[in-house]
Parts: sequence; structure tokens; C-alpha cells
Amino acid sequence: MASHSRAITLTSSQKMMIFVLSMSLYGLSNMFTELIPEFRIGPVELSVEYFAFIPLTLCMLFSPLHAAVGAALGEVIFGELMLGQFGGLGELEKFLTFSFAMYVAGRMVRDPLNRVQVGVAAIAGVIIHQACSSLIDIGKVWVGVDDFDTIPGLAESVVVVEGFSFLNDVLFSGILFALLPTAYLVPRLYGKIEPLLGIRPRGKAAYEAGGVSAKIVATGILLAVVSFGAAALSKTDWNFAEWDSGFEDRFGTGAIWISIAAAALVALVVLAFFRMRKNRGPQAEAPGESPYV
Amino acid sequence: MQLVRNWFSRISLERIQLELMNTAYGSGHASLSRLDPRCLLLWYLFFAIVPWFLSSFVVLAGLFLLTAATTVLSRVTPFVIVVLCLGLIGQVGWLFVLSLFFGGDVGSALPLLKLTLKLSVVSLASITVFSGMDPEKISDGLLALGLPASISFSLSYGYRILPVLFEEFRNVLLSYRLRGQSPERPGFLYWRMAAYYLKLLTMAFFPLMLATAKRSRTTVEALETRGFSYGMRNPASKKLKLSHLRVAARDIAFLSGTAAYVALLFWIG
Amino acid sequence: MSKPISPSSPALSSSSSSPSSLSSQFSLSSPSSASSLAASAAPSAGEFAVRVSNVTFAYPGSEQPVLREASLAIRKGSFAAIAGGNGCGKSTLCKLFNGLIPHYYSGEFSGSVEVCGRPAEGRGVAELSRQVGYVYQDFDNQLVRPTVLDEAVFAPLNYGLPEYRAMGQRALELCGISHLHDRYVWELSGGQKHLLALAGALALEPDVLVVDEPVSQLDPRHARQAYEVLRRLNRQHGITIIVIEHHTEFIADYCEEVCLMEQGRVLWQLPAAEALNRLADLDRLGIQPPEVTQAAAKLSELLGKPSAASSYPVTADDAEAYFGAILRRRAAETGSPGKEAGGGASAGEAPPSNPSPAIEFRRTELSYRTVRKEKREVLRGLDLALNEGERIALVGNNGAGKSSLLKLIAGIARPTGGDVRVLGEDAKGLSVERISARIAYVFQNPEDMFIEDTVYKEVAYCLKRRRYPQAEETAERMLRAFRLEPLRDRDARLLSGGQQRRVSLAIGAAIRPEIILLDEPTANLDLATREELIGTLKELEAHVRTVVIATHDMQLVRQWATRVVVLNEGVVAGDGAPADVFADADLIRRAGLAPTQIMDLSARLGLKPACASPAELAGRIYGMLAHGKENDSHAARPQLV
Repeated sequence: MASHSRAITLTSSQKMMIFVLSMSLYGLSNMFTELIPEFRIGPVELSVEYFAFIPLTLCMLFSPLHAAVGAALGEVIFGELMLGQFGGLGELEKFLTFSFAMYVAGRMVRDPLNRVQVGVAAIAGVIIHQACSSLIDIGKVWVGVDDFDTIPGLAESVVVVEGFSFLNDVLFSGILFALLPTAYLVPRLYGKIEPLLGIRPRGKAAYEAGGVSAKIVATGILLAVVSFGAAALSKTDWNFAEWDSGFEDRFGTGAIWISIAAAALVALVVLAFFRMRKNRGPQAEAPGESPYV
Repeated sequence: MQLVRNWFSRISLERIQLELMNTAYGSGHASLSRLDPRCLLLWYLFFAIVPWFLSSFVVLAGLFLLTAATTVLSRVTPFVIVVLCLGLIGQVGWLFVLSLFFGGDVGSALPLLKLTLKLSVVSLASITVFSGMDPEKISDGLLALGLPASISFSLSYGYRILPVLFEEFRNVLLSYRLRGQSPERPGFLYWRMAAYYLKLLTMAFFPLMLATAKRSRTTVEALETRGFSYGMRNPASKKLKLSHLRVAARDIAFLSGTAAYVALLFWIG
Repeated sequence: MSKPISPSSPALSSSSSSPSSLSSQFSLSSPSSASSLAASAAPSAGEFAVRVSNVTFAYPGSEQPVLREASLAIRKGSFAAIAGGNGCGKSTLCKLFNGLIPHYYSGEFSGSVEVCGRPAEGRGVAELSRQVGYVYQDFDNQLVRPTVLDEAVFAPLNYGLPEYRAMGQRALELCGISHLHDRYVWELSGGQKHLLALAGALALEPDVLVVDEPVSQLDPRHARQAYEVLRRLNRQHGITIIVIEHHTEFIADYCEEVCLMEQGRVLWQLPAAEALNRLADLDRLGIQPPEVTQAAAKLSELLGKPSAASSYPVTADDAEAYFGAILRRRAAETGSPGKEAGGGASAGEAPPSNPSPAIEFRRTELSYRTVRKEKREVLRGLDLALNEGERIALVGNNGAGKSSLLKLIAGIARPTGGDVRVLGEDAKGLSVERISARIAYVFQNPEDMFIEDTVYKEVAYCLKRRRYPQAEETAERMLRAFRLEPLRDRDARLLSGGQQRRVSLAIGAAIRPEIILLDEPTANLDLATREELIGTLKELEAHVRTVVIATHDMQLVRQWATRVVVLNEGVVAGDGAPADVFADADLIRRAGLAPTQIMDLSARLGLKPACASPAELAGRIYGMLAHGKENDSHAARPQLV
């Protein structure tokens, strides 16, 4: 197959195939890694963080955007929702950082048969992701523990724990479960897995970034800003609210009441919106019947 | 050696599969699952965000009690709770030990307890909603709240495909074992066995990738013949899909009950 | 139980046809007269369900066209089979009908396709799929929703049809599975999943239904059930049914017409009875005619008067009449009834009681926990000893415990009660890796065994991994023995069903096990490959002392086994030589076994014991005709090699 220098365009069903493939495989692996016991020697844990080689491989062989987003969604569905571990906002950040890191790693590879390039991209993907998630984790404790600065040793211990886990994840999971398998799999799967999907092997061509990506990137940035803003906002609150005076602290309670009111307002608006839409517009369906028993 | 081997060959895959299936599917008849998914998702949104902004111990404890109660109502499997507790200990326990090491004292346990409470509230709320609700309803709820159709489809497809994937994975792993060689000596702390199984686990994804690729092709082709992509572009289809959702009196009661309880907590706090 | 599909649905009102008007036209045909109907109809252009003219198509990236000038016309209301060897373009042809080709696979396309009287050009997959339902061969992958009713309403919901719920329920009813509506898909058996895939396609109330190889993934009973549903849809609801099928016995029983394909062309299109008498064409393409047809052809050959083509019987009913007439004619001529003396089949000489059987079950129990926290007992105190040198067939209906028994032997499952002793050791204490050095287990689905990316690596994997001496030579020898040399660098996943099966057997035989366990080795094989497999099994005996097969295939049992173990509800219900077991009609019925066409015919003609193969039946009838009495049954039975 002649390798084109121009971008490859996929049909929407091919994108869907890549998405489904990446989602189910990485999702399954995530269930296992969630359940593999961790080996701890003191604070250093040898845990299998994730099988990053699966999304990395797929991102390098196929359209990185769809493989990356599919994998991140697979993690949320299989590894979080099905195991009852869905953690709210934190997952959103994981979703964003993970798909971003995988996407970047996928785009770094020009020639899937070049093991060095594949290996460098794989480890880069892990480093990007781990660096982001360590920073966010530190931020979480910083936000969650209200008198973070006043507890002696906490700041240091958080940094140490996160630092260790960063090093562990990069050196242990990163090498064993990202670098080595990816460098082994990508050249081996290249030209073999594509015919199974009915897709032409990519050659040295890059997949098009995709028209959707602009929208996705914008959404991602927006969400990142929101979550960062939330963290910063809450940080200012914690300086006022001491934990033992929380019972009486007027300001703290006031802030809470404001947030409650805001949440209630949002809920009411959304409800009203749905009601309105329901009442408007003629609807001929059998009323109240759910298709799910 | 026997112990480890039993752990892997008997308990592990079959047992885990069973537990996972229980977790994923065993919730269809819980009382909470009859609520409107949009209401539950909004309810969840509150409990996922607000605890991070709270500092009152009483309020947090009250929220914890509420979410613990709803978790019981949603009849999740004990397995989920065990996984949750292990996760919490892992996340917070080491922080505590380390902060002692860096010169903290028992006093630092209290803020950490609060952190644990916050994490628990968020986790329990998500367990209540996502493990207690029928996956179909979640995916309808998400669709109704404006998420793309492909995401809400993927969610329910994930639940459909999980048993198939698991079965296939077990077969592939078995093929490796039937034709492979396990280490003759378990090694110190069974590290050889652990390494052997970890290697198998990794290698199994090679055939699995190929097999899943083949399957995805049929699946996506079949989706096409059944009008899936047509439906994604067709607003009438979405409207029809969601037409069965409606907010009933019990949803209002649930939301306002929660609101009243939370208000009470804040008043006390 | 089935209501007629309402023609008022918007899905159908746009099309020119009204299914109910067709149903009356064809509802009277019986299987034997079906073919004449197809021949008599000479429809005008508007009455074709699908019409393909001179289509040539190559998949993107491939230079070889899959279809070459293919032309075909299938009348509305017909029940047609598309037959042909592997890779002849059958599935590709059928994907023209719902527009997957050329819209979804945009390869090089020329020619024209008409669906329900309107050109398909310019109509997308979504639009054509309203009129043409498609059920895939690997139908499991077609099911995308968690529960049965969701799956059934999926398509109408996508099309935004307000009465989607009623449509889904009607489709479930048509397939006879409405009682399962609130079940999860993974709880269903293979047969039920297939019916659900059918229902999913039917929910849109299509005019045409394409079913790709319905028999290949189903056991014989469920396959027949699926065909009964298809017949009802065809007769009562006027839906045009097109099956891709090479099991000629099903074609004979259910189809009206047959299109034979060869290398991308449609060779001919004939009424079923006539088509199945084109023995030369079928033989060339590796399609085995029905057993009774073979028997009749063989008999004419023996009698030295090959009758004119297209007059042999193709169904058991026809054959009973055909052979009955021959025998009666003979009886009238000689005055002595050609009734045979009941053959005292030798009770498969119980092998001299072996001091230590190769495999021994002692009050073995096995139970699983299901997701709903129920305990399911598979084996309930089973006692069984299997000896070295035997060819053992495990038979019994689904869920009788056949596969579980094999898994216990291989150490994959552990008994929950009692003992399993394998080659003198307690299986409980042995790891899968240890047991598998001496016992090979070949999966039901060959694809589950494929862990490498080429055939050679598959076969060599175990030899290399376990550091067998001369691994490479052994692997080469196995490739030769199983005729896999030309395929050595191909990905086994992309081979045909028969080739995949050979690879899986080669994998199993490569380590020279003492015992080999085969789970349903003839499932998903076309009949030519099946014959080949029996040859391969015999080759296997050069390497392996004991072979145990779990199977539904009574023909295989009759031709190959020396001992049959019948399982029913987790215990041994019968055990003995094949002839004895098959003589016990009560046991056969109780265990839910499906007799072969020849066994069925033998019973109808009063031949005891039942014949194993068409050649044997022909030989015995020839003997009866020649000597007025049947040959000694022992002599007639082929050597149990």
C-alpha cells in the first residue's frame, strides 16, 4: 500500500469501530487493574496502575482521537461505573488528562514500524498523563483538607506520596505495561489488525485531526478551567474557615447556603425546562410507558 | 504455591466475573431505580460537588449518613463496598502514616477524617446512582441531559459486551495456560507466579485485540443496518427514546426530601 | 401465537408491496411440492424481492473482485438458499440487498441492484434496511443491547417510529421468544440469541430477510427451530427469506429454490429438488447432497442403472416413498417381503476390564453459581471410567454436561464433589499447565485458541514454550499432516471454518498428548470439511491413544466412535457401542438426540440396526434386492477403524 503523506479520512463507521474497539478493550483491562492487588513496601507501592499499552497501541495504529476518547470512556464505564467507583469531578479530569496524553502519544508516531519512535511516544504518553494526574491529586488534598497549611507535615507527605506514585507509575507501570508491550505490539499488529476492521493500514500518513477536535479541545479547556477555578475558589474559602470553628462560622455557612441555593436553582431551572419542553410540542407516544421493564 | 494457584485459578476470574456481573446487573429491582434518571443525576451532581466546599463536620457526617442510607436502599453488592473501603484506606491511610512520620500528631487525623468523609460522600452518592440504577436508565438520563448519543450508547453497550469480553478473555488466558509453562518454583513471596500471571494478563490482550477488532466490525456493520447512525442524526429518534422519561410525584418527593434534610443539616451545622 | 404483521406501519406503507396479499398465495405449499411452485411462477419485473444484474465488485484495497458479473432474481415470497463453497462471495452478494455494498464498503462497483421493484441506487443503507433485514453468521456480535426487549425495539427506535414498542413485541412473538422479554441477553442460550437476532431484524417489518448460515453456530435442534420460524414467517407473513446455507438437508426441507455460486458468479438458480440433484456441480464445490440423495445415487450405481438426473429424493419423506417403492416392487416380484431379520448388533465388546482406566469419575459433582445467586448443578454424582484406546463420543442435549465433563478432565474446572482421576493422578491437585502436557483440550470455537498471528506460530507455540526437543520439525510435520502448509503464514482468524478447525486440531495434536479432548469438532463445518475431519481423526490416532469427543453430530458418532456415553441431566443415561445406543429409541428421545437423516430413514424402512452412512444403506438395500434378504448386518457395517 502506497503511503500517503496527506491525512487519512475515515468514514463515520470506521471511527465508530475504533471507538468501540478501544473502549471495550481498555475498559476490560481497567477492570483487572482495579482488582490486581498492590504490593507495598512501605510507602512505595508496586501497583499495576493501568494497561496503558492498549490505548497507546490503538492510538498509534488508528485515528488517535477516537482511540483515545474511546479508551477514556471505557475506563469510566468499565473501571468506574460498573465497579461502583465513579468519583464525580475527579473522573472528569482523569478523562481529560488521559485522553489528551494518549492522543499526544498517538500523534507523535509517524512510522508505526519504528520501534524506537513507538517506545519514546509510549513513555511520553505515560509521563504526560502521570504528571498531570499527580498535580491534580496534590490539588485535591489541598482543596479537600481545609487547614492544609496548618497541619505539620501534611504538605510534605502529600508531595512525597504523589512523587513516589509518579515515579512508581512511570518506572514500573510505564515501562512494564506501556513501553515494552507497546513497542512489541505496534509493529506486530501493524498490517494485521487493520484488515480485520476493514481499514487500510495507515502507512506513514497521519490521521486527520478531525473536525470535531476543535470543539472537543474547546470543551476540554473550558472544563479544565472550571475545575481549576473551583479549586482556586475553594482554596480562598479554606483560609477563612477553620475546621473547629466551622460550627459557628458565619461566612462558611453563608458560602454553603449560597452554593445550596445555586444548586437548587440550577435543578429547578433544568426541571422547569424539561417540563416546558414536554408540555410543548405534540407527542403521540403511549404515555408513561417505559421501553425498559 | 497451592494457595496462590487456587487464588488465581479458582477464585480469581470466575469469581470476579460473577461479582462484576452482580454489580453491573443486580440492581434492576432496587427501590431507587424507579426514580427518574434525570432527577437522580441532578441529585448526584449535588453530592459530587458540594462536599468539596464544606468544612462542617456535622454537615459532612449528616451527608454521609444520607448517602449511606441511599446506598443501602439501592441494594448494591457487598463487593462494591469492599472495593470502596479498600480504595479509601489506600488513599487516606498512607497520608496519615506519612504525616505522622513528618512530625504530625494524632491531631492531623481529624482533618484527614474529614477528607475521608468527603470522599465517602462522593463515592457513596455515585454508587447509589450508578450501581443502583439500571444502566439503560443512566444512559437515557445522560442522553436527556445533553450528552452525545454515542456516549450514552457506549454505556449500555459496555454492559452488554462485558460478559462476552470476559468469556473471551478467560478462553484466551486458558489457551495460554494450556499451551504454556508455569514457573516450576513459585519464588520468594510467589513473585515468579505473580510475574507469570501478570505476563499472561498482558499477553492475552494481543489475541484479544485481534478478536475484538473482528467483532467490532460486525457490530458496527450491524448497527448500520439497524439504523443506528440514522437515529443519531434524527432528532425524532432521540425524542422518542426519551419520551418515557417523566418526573413523577415520587421524584419530587425524593428531591425535596433530600433538600429539606440538607437544609436541616446546614441549619444545625 | 403469531399475529400477522400489520401492513399499516409507516415502515412498509411506502413500499409497493403488501405482505399479507402474498401470504395467501404461498401458504399452501408443502415441503415436497415447494419446488414446483418456484418453477411455475413466472413473475413480472415488479414481483421480484431482489434483482441483481451483472454486478462486479471488489473490496477497497483488493484487486480481486469478489463478485464477477453476478446476476440473480428472487421472487417475492420465495424461500431461497444461496449456496457455494467457502469464499465464493455468498455473503458479499447478500450485502448488496441492504446497500452495505456499495454504500458502506465503497469498493469498485458496477452493475445494478433492484430491491422490491425499485433501483437500490441512491438509497442508503438506512433506507434499504427498512425493507431488507439481515442476520449475521456471528449473530452474537449483532446484539448490542443488554436486555431482550431493548434489543427488539432498537431498530424501530432508531428510525423514530412511535409504535416501536409494539413492533418489538410483535417481532419477539413472531420468533416465539416473547416470554423472554425481560431477560438479559447474556442469560440466553445460543439458539435463543439467534432467534433474538432474527427478532431484531424483523422489528422493522421488512419485506426481505437475509439470514447468513443459520445452522453454523447452532446445534441441530436449535437450527431446526430457527428454520421453523423462518418457514412460518415465509408462509404466514409473506416475507421473502434468503438464507446462505450449505447444509443441503435443511435446504431440501425448507427452501424453494437454490442459487449456486462459484467464484463470484451465480452458476444457476433452480428449484430445490432439482438443484440438489445436480450432483456433479455440488461435488465440485464441496457441497454434500442430502444423505438420502447420496444413498439413492449410490443404489442406482450399484444397480447399474444411474437414473436420469433430478429424480433422486432429497427429503426423508420423499426417500421413504422412493425406497419403499423399490422394495415393494421387489417384494411383488419375488413374493417374499424384503424384511430383514433383526440384526443382533454386537454389544461393543466391553473392553477387557482395564485395571487402571485412563480417566475415572467417581461420584463427581459439579455446580456453578449463577449471577442471580442460584446454584446450577451440572453434574450430579457421575460415575464413569474411560479406557485407553477407546474412541469415546459424549452425546446429550445442551446443558447435559458434556463440555463440563471435558473441562473436568482437562483440569479447567474442578469438581465440587467426588473425584476425578486422570492418568492415575487426582486431577484436583494438578495445575492446568501440568495436565495439559499429557491431555490436549480442543475448544469448541477454534478462534478461542488463537493466540498468535500466523498458523505456524500457533502450532509451534506450545512446543517452543515448553522446550520440546525438535520443536520446529514437529511443527512442520503437524502442518503437513493437517495440510496447513499453504496457510502457514496466514492469520488463523481470517481462515474459513474448516481451516480453522484443522489448525485447532493441529495445535492439540502437536504436543503428542496421551488423551485428546474435542468439544464439538464438527460444528460450523461444511460437509466436505466434515468428511475430511473424520479422516483427520483417524490420522490423529497415530499420535494419540484415547480420543474423547463431545458432539451433537450423530453422523460423526455413527461413523467414528467405538463407545457412546449418553449424558442426561448430569448423569450417565446410557453407555455402550453406537449400534446399541441408537437402537434404544426411548433413550434417544429422553436424551434429546437428533438422529441423522439416514438413521431416520433406516427406522422408517424398518432396517435394524440403523445404517451409519448412505453407502451402507444403499449396500443393504442392494443386498435385499439381490438376495431377497438383507446382508448380514455385521458385514455391512463399515469397519470401525
